[in-house]
Amino acid sequence: MKINNKLRVELARALVVTAALLYIPSNIMPVMTMTIVGKTEPLTVLGGVYELYDSGLPLIAGVVFLASFVVPFLKIAALGWILFLHGTPRLRERRNALHHIVHKVGSWSMIDIFLLAVLAAVGQLGSLAAVTAEPGAIFFCIVMISCLLAAEIYKPRLIWETTTT
Amino acid sequence: MSTTLTSQLGGAKGDWIRCPNCDASCRERELSSGEELRCTRCGATVLQFTGRKTLQPALALSVAGLLALVLANSSPVLVFSVAGRDQSGYIITGVRELIAQGYWPIAALVFFAGILAPLLYLTSVAYVSSACCFHVRLPRLVDLIRLSEQMESWNLVPVYSIATVVSVVKLRMLGGVQWEFGAQWVLALAVISLFVQQTFNHRLVTERLISMGVEP
Repeated sequence: MKINNKLRVELARALVVTAALLYIPSNIMPVMTMTIVGKTEPLTVLGGVYELYDSGLPLIAGVVFLASFVVPFLKIAALGWILFLHGTPRLRERRNALHHIVHKVGSWSMIDIFLLAVLAAVGQLGSLAAVTAEPGAIFFCIVMISCLLAAEIYKPRLIWETTTT
Repeated sequence: MSTTLTSQLGGAKGDWIRCPNCDASCRERELSSGEELRCTRCGATVLQFTGRKTLQPALALSVAGLLALVLANSSPVLVFSVAGRDQSGYIITGVRELIAQGYWPIAALVFFAGILAPLLYLTSVAYVSSACCFHVRLPRLVDLIRLSEQMESWNLVPVYSIATVVSVVKLRMLGGVQWEFGAQWVLALAVISLFVQQTFNHRLVTERLISMGVEP
């Protein structure tokens, strides 16, 4: 199916707005609940990072913080800025370079979803250990997919177009 | 950066070709070893010197990747134990558990990015590379090239391998955790995938297809 350029821009804008709106609930709401020997603990994205940091693992905490919190935020901000300047000749080289970076590093925010899948796979030991997904994970998925699709739909060649949409 | 076949098509040297990134017209020219032609507008690489490069490394690596994918999915990755009870987990176990908990969209995403996309990516690379290496006009070659381009950014096994490491660290705080046979194949698959991306040169594929008389 061929999508015309105007539709591409509109779709990308809609996806970035969706991601921006859901970024807040995806970070406030728990993404998973861990129950270990009767102790239940709901974990948000930042809660998981803090737990790792608190356990003396600042490097791992830093990786998860960057991939799960900073990368999605920067992706939304970068795509928002690129789309805001669409149709203008301003800073095209920078927008082009930024689009390239967003496309390359964007998928690393999937780390939290894979983490949930791995923990859910081994954490099913009845009352001793249980890992369950929470609605925050759905919001997190939507944020991530919206950003990935927006970067896919808004091709770099559109940055170099001259007509305003 | 995804490149389209039409943008990479070039005829005789000196023809105008399209930049795969910004669609600007660039004049094709003969390249010497190590040289590449860059777009004057956006700076993207339009042409690279391919010389005597072949797609044999891509074929070998993609077949090895498929083997690693089978082994990574047919053996447990981790075993977690608490108070004498333990549970092993395969890649698919997480998908099944998320479906059981009612989170099928997340399960679908994990299945797609962790299993299906790597399978489609490596299969399409192996198919196209073997056609180019053995000079065989296999059916639907162009479709498979497009599939490999689309699946490249969805093959998230490298991210999955890092998530596995993080989960081990997290689980060690709660109980005993042990790496299993599948873990080394997840890691191997992640490394192989990265090498496949480096060796599967789209320009080279286009050149080989043209020399075989296939119109991309």
